[in-house]
Amino acid sequence: MGGQGNRRQGKKNELISRRDFLKFTGTVAIGAGVLSEIIWLDDAIAAIPASEGYLLVDTKKCQGCLSCMLACSLVHEGKVNLSLSRIQILQNSFAKFPDDLTMAQCRQCVEPPCVEVCPPKALHVDIKNGNVRTVDVKKCIGCKACIQACPFEPGRALWNPDKKNAMKCDLCSNAPFWIQKGGVKGKQACVEVCPLNAIQFTKKIPEQKGDTGYKVNLRGESWKKLGYSKD
Amino acid sequence: MNGYAGKILRIDLTDRRISTIYTKDYEQWVGGHGMGSAIFWDLVKDKAVSGFDPRNIVTVMTSPLSGTLVPGASSRTEVQGIGVQSSPIEWFTRSNFGGRFAPMLKYAGWDGVVIEGKADKPVWVDIRNEDVKIKDARHLWGLDTWKAQQEIWKEVSGHGFSGWVELDSERRTTQRPAVLTVGPAGENLSRTACLIHDAGNASGQGGFGGIWGSKNLKAISVIGTGSIQIADPKGLMEARLWAQAKYSMDLKNIDASWFARFGRKRPQNRFWDPHESARLQACIGCHLGCKERSDTGYGNESTCEETAFYAGYDKAKHGGKQTSAAYIATDLLQKYGINSYEATRGLTYIRALQRMGVLGRGKRLECDLDFRKLGETEFADAFLNMIAYRKGIGDDFAEGFFRAAKRWGRLEEDLKTGILPYSYWGLPEHGYDPRAEVEWGFGSILGDRDINEHDFNFLFWWPSGAIWAGKTPQPPAEQVVKIVAEKLIPYENNPLMLDFSTDNIYSDHIAKLVAWHRHYTRFWKQSVLYCDHRWPEFINSKVPGYKGLTGEGEPRFFNVVTGKKFSFVDGMELGKKIWNLDNAIWTLQGRHRDMVHFSDYIYNVLFAGSGNYAIYYLPGREKGWWDYICVNGRHLDKAKFEEFKTRFYNLEGWDSRTGWPKKGTLESLGLKFVADELEKKRKIGV
Repeated sequence: MGGQGNRRQGKKNELISRRDFLKFTGTVAIGAGVLSEIIWLDDAIAAIPASEGYLLVDTKKCQGCLSCMLACSLVHEGKVNLSLSRIQILQNSFAKFPDDLTMAQCRQCVEPPCVEVCPPKALHVDIKNGNVRTVDVKKCIGCKACIQACPFEPGRALWNPDKKNAMKCDLCSNAPFWIQKGGVKGKQACVEVCPLNAIQFTKKIPEQKGDTGYKVNLRGESWKKLGYSKD
Repeated sequence: MNGYAGKILRIDLTDRRISTIYTKDYEQWVGGHGMGSAIFWDLVKDKAVSGFDPRNIVTVMTSPLSGTLVPGASSRTEVQGIGVQSSPIEWFTRSNFGGRFAPMLKYAGWDGVVIEGKADKPVWVDIRNEDVKIKDARHLWGLDTWKAQQEIWKEVSGHGFSGWVELDSERRTTQRPAVLTVGPAGENLSRTACLIHDAGNASGQGGFGGIWGSKNLKAISVIGTGSIQIADPKGLMEARLWAQAKYSMDLKNIDASWFARFGRKRPQNRFWDPHESARLQACIGCHLGCKERSDTGYGNESTCEETAFYAGYDKAKHGGKQTSAAYIATDLLQKYGINSYEATRGLTYIRALQRMGVLGRGKRLECDLDFRKLGETEFADAFLNMIAYRKGIGDDFAEGFFRAAKRWGRLEEDLKTGILPYSYWGLPEHGYDPRAEVEWGFGSILGDRDINEHDFNFLFWWPSGAIWAGKTPQPPAEQVVKIVAEKLIPYENNPLMLDFSTDNIYSDHIAKLVAWHRHYTRFWKQSVLYCDHRWPEFINSKVPGYKGLTGEGEPRFFNVVTGKKFSFVDGMELGKKIWNLDNAIWTLQGRHRDMVHFSDYIYNVLFAGSGNYAIYYLPGREKGWWDYICVNGRHLDKAKFEEFKTRFYNLEGWDSRTGWPKKGTLESLGLKFVADELEKKRKIGV
């Protein structure tokens, strides 16, 4: 693995370099026998088509009601559970606005580490559903490599302790408990339920570096009518 | 069980014993208040003990809707027990609060918590899913409510909350524990102490803070990672989107919601000047938040009354301009854990006594407060600190200002003039005066507390606000009362129930209004836990015909979550049953119709407006014509109120000589076991 390790270190990769690389290779090494077919990032870039849909959020607009989280688990699992929500909102009652709240949506990364690392290719690009990065639960072996691989905090891939598989945002392409059609050509439960329209769906690929592509201003003129700044 | 977790946590602090009550055993009571009253009935044999007695219990109950996606009904927790705030009897009472606690309890696998006994040393309860531990609270005792919660968060999470927190190898969450705690006021057994959750949610009335203090209970913390089963998940999502689209505020067309409760055009519930910069903030699952978090961190999550505590004094002190003192004073209320009503009305009272030369430094009522600093932060802190720590005259304040006045030998005199604005059961008057908005006062005096139920309050606010602004209120009174009356099932289509004219306020029609209000709130709002700020909704300007979602909304959401087939009226009947159970408990506590009376000033002093609400309008008929009438300048007539009580008791099937429930009434409600107990104690209505 040494040669390929150098190759990984040599290639600049914004996303992976945020994570503790040692931790990542440590994880890989443990399952080395299983993970012989790992796709390396530079090979992967050419192979992975970009998602046709993304979620953008406005962290200053969000009211912290967690309705998006409740709706996400409801339409996917048929029950409500914050720990089974593929979007996470974190907040602190005692902190100062706007640092009192963060929104953690899956970015449907152009270069998705979670896809790259999945040994059985359960977490894959679903070309039938606009290339959303999603888990095929029939193939998932529960190794949690995807959960480790997500470079963002909190990690966007989740563990389902009841079904013993990983899961992540699929832009509602498979949301059986909703009469609405989901996916990139349909609607997303979090977008529809958010009472303040603080989550937006877009087809345009957001800037991948940093947060500015994904954390945007959705407030507009009407927001001023509530007595708040739109800036 | 759809909606329910299936288990209620039972904690005996005396023996430090943790056990389980099966929710199924109380399922007929549905949740919240119904379950709390039923559990209280079963577990507390001697219902006449003091609230501070270890034999008193405190129930902390959720509903099957808690933690789900039901708009304005997912987050509230109902707290009950024998209170310590009311006088002359410490009524079995209630006080609920919002935020994240009820949802988190459900995710942890609990429908509620029942607290019994008294610990020998300060403890806190650490709930992590099914794992429950009673822990030493030595290091938490003495901390204000904000510090205590953050200390507990650190202990439960270990390393902070920027990512996933692991409860065990399989179960994780990104959420902080939901903590309910007392501050120094509760630790020092103040009758005005409350329970605080996060920055600004409070179980304010009843003195539950002091009761927890007497039990040596500092806090309950809960974190959960589990699921709530939903009977009809697709139906819940549809119902939620329906309610939001049809009734809630639309950001693209805010003005359409010029009148609504469910989707109020100005969602924030605040009386102070707006922050420079803030976020609208909501309880879990709510479709339209009423709280805020500010860029200064001051005033986070406080709403309504507590935001009115100090703003007036702050402005008066600073040339009409509000400073941060208004916000910080409210934050101090939350941190010390003191009920904002007692603090606000109490401050009004002692200010009056100070102006009379009776109270102050070197006065007959020695009080170490510098009233020249009233309006500055330091005065608020000194005032609240002396209550929390019972310093000097603060020991009297900590008993509640009604009992303080009694200690000072001033009670009779000050209730006659009304400078002590405590109108019912030794409790601070809410602000919607019994002489004006009668359903509020009548509901309060016929029950256990200031009802704090705003269901009909819009009938004052809406026309009054228009008239104060020099406008003609629209729609006209006759149209409004007709729309509302349609929804007052099972007394529907009787607009006289909403006629607040003096000739009508003691009538059978108003008796029906009060009865409807008791039954609706006991079930739909206090058992199912629809939030008082957004429910019920009779009128909504966005909807053709102005019809709000009450009648349809309540059962629709309830049924998609639970799979039950409740009608609106089923709920009203269960509400009546719960209300009767409560009256039976009060009867066993020593209640009799002769004690059901307002303070003297309500009968003797003409109503001259309530502070900022100088001129009070309500719908009513004058000379046969409907209008918004001014109800200033009247008082209640004691003899007529006696007649009203008789009418109300007859309507409810209670013995009009005593106010006790009749045997036949209880039995017809499925409460034979209650009738038997009352009969045994010779307190059954005849």
